[in-house]
Order: sequence, then structure tokens, then C-alpha cells
Amino acid sequence: MNRNNDEKWQDLLLLSTPTFAGEATPPYGFITSTLTRLRAEKREREELERIGWRALLASLAALMVAATVTLSVNFMDHRSDLEPGVRSLVQMENIQVS
Amino acid sequence: MDQSLDVDGWLQRWKKGDEAAAEELIRHLFPVISKIVRTHLRRHDDEKDLVQEILMKTFAKLHQYKGDAPISHWVSRLALTTCLDRLRAQRIRPEVRRADLTPEDSDVFEAAWLTGSSPDASHAIAARDLVDKILSALSPEDRSLILMVDLEGRSLQEIAETTGWSISKIKMRLFRVRPQLRQMIQKLEERK
Repeated sequence: MNRNNDEKWQDLLLLSTPTFAGEATPPYGFITSTLTRLRAEKREREELERIGWRALLASLAALMVAATVTLSVNFMDHRSDLEPGVRSLVQMENIQVS
Repeated sequence: MDQSLDVDGWLQRWKKGDEAAAEELIRHLFPVISKIVRTHLRRHDDEKDLVQEILMKTFAKLHQYKGDAPISHWVSRLALTTCLDRLRAQRIRPEVRRADLTPEDSDVFEAAWLTGSSPDASHAIAARDLVDKILSALSPEDRSLILMVDLEGRSLQEIAETTGWSISKIKMRLFRVRPQLRQMIQKLEERK
């Protein structure tokens, strides 16, 4: 029988059709294992979110401390009548300033 | 919206942590995903794992679902993309030749192709293996396209909706892949 290649291909596909049919219901244990995996992924995501929030809060706290220290030092510098460089020299040489 | 699933109500329940809602969705989507995985992946690939992976992606991306199309359509696209990613990760095999066929493949080949007779139905698995061997020389996209057109008889519009490809791109791919497929079948007929 002289058939063209397209027909042969279609025949082969037709023959294999039953193997392409999907399953209507999940196999035994599939739903349980999927739900377990879902739960684990949800827990992991929540944990990551918690870690992220903690890291963010810690960074903010560190930033606040740094800002407070900087502002305090700056404030103290302004209260002194000496230039910062001169005051460092005075402190280093332990000179008495009346 | 899918008639058998109230997606909005379901989403509300799932957000509140209702596991029964998750089970409902898994049962609802399983046949759709199973069909896509079985069609687009090779027979021996681990389909159960992939179906589960697609379900995980579905749950992770549910917030992106806008409800403008049935959820099964949205999931079909996700499933197809995941199958294509899996196929891309596998190496494209060289063209199959007659000498590479197993005795079972050869029986199917002789019966269904050379003689034109209809072989026994028990040959379905061997025929599927042969289909997989022939298609494994194509790119994952071309493989899926051929199956959607030749096996599922889908229209170009339906394929465009599922894949996100334009109609002209689909036509171009088909135009290019058909001769390739014919050539592969021709090579199978040549003895050695």
C-alpha cells in the first residue's frame, strides 16, 4: 500500500492515542503528599517573611542608633568654642583650658 | 469561570487557610494537568512529580489569576510552560533511524506504516514510544505544536491562547516543522 508519510504519521498517532489520555482522579496518596508539600512551602514562605521583617527592623534600629550618635556628637561639637581639630589636639596633649 | 468551581469563594477560603479548599482545587485541576503532562512529556518521564510541581506553581501564583478566563485555561498555560521547560532541560536527541528501533517498535512500524494494516490495540504503548522517538528530534516547542495540531486537533486560535504565541508564529513553525517530520519518517523507512 503506497501511502504518503503524512498518512503514516496520522496512523501512528491514532494508534498511540490511548496512551495520551490523562487520568481523571489523582492516584492514591497524591493529594496527601501535595497538601504536605503545600503546607511545608507555606511554612517556609512565612519563615522567610519573618526573617525578612526581623532583618528590616534590626537594620532600622542600627540606623537609628547611628543617627542618634552622629547627631549627639555633632551637637556636642557645636556647643564647644573650639574648632574640632583644635579640641582634639587639646585633648591629646591634655592642655588645661580655662 | 469554571462552572464546577466558585473560584472567588474558593480563593477566600484558601486565603483563610482552609485546607479543604486546597484539596478541592487539586481534585478539580488534576485531570487538566494530567492530560497536558501526559501529552507533552515523553512516556517514561516522571509525570506525577511534574503534576505536583505544576500544582505548587499554581498555588504560588494564584494571586496573579485575574478571573478573566476560566481557571483551567490559566492553569493549562502554566502547565504547558512547565512541560516545555522540562523538555528544554533534556537534550534533543538525534534523528531516529530504522536501525535504532527496538523489535517492538519495528513490529508497530511494519504493521502500521509499511503494510497499512491496523495493528493490534496492544501496540499502543509501542506506537507511543515510536512517536516519542520521532518527536524527540524536534525542539520542545515544535514537538508540542505538532501534538496540539495532529493529536488534539486544536485550531490555531486555541493554540495561540494556550501558548501565548501569535498566529503567524504558529503558522511559521508548522510550515518549518512539517517537512522535518516527513523527512524523519522517510529516514525510518530506509533500511539502515
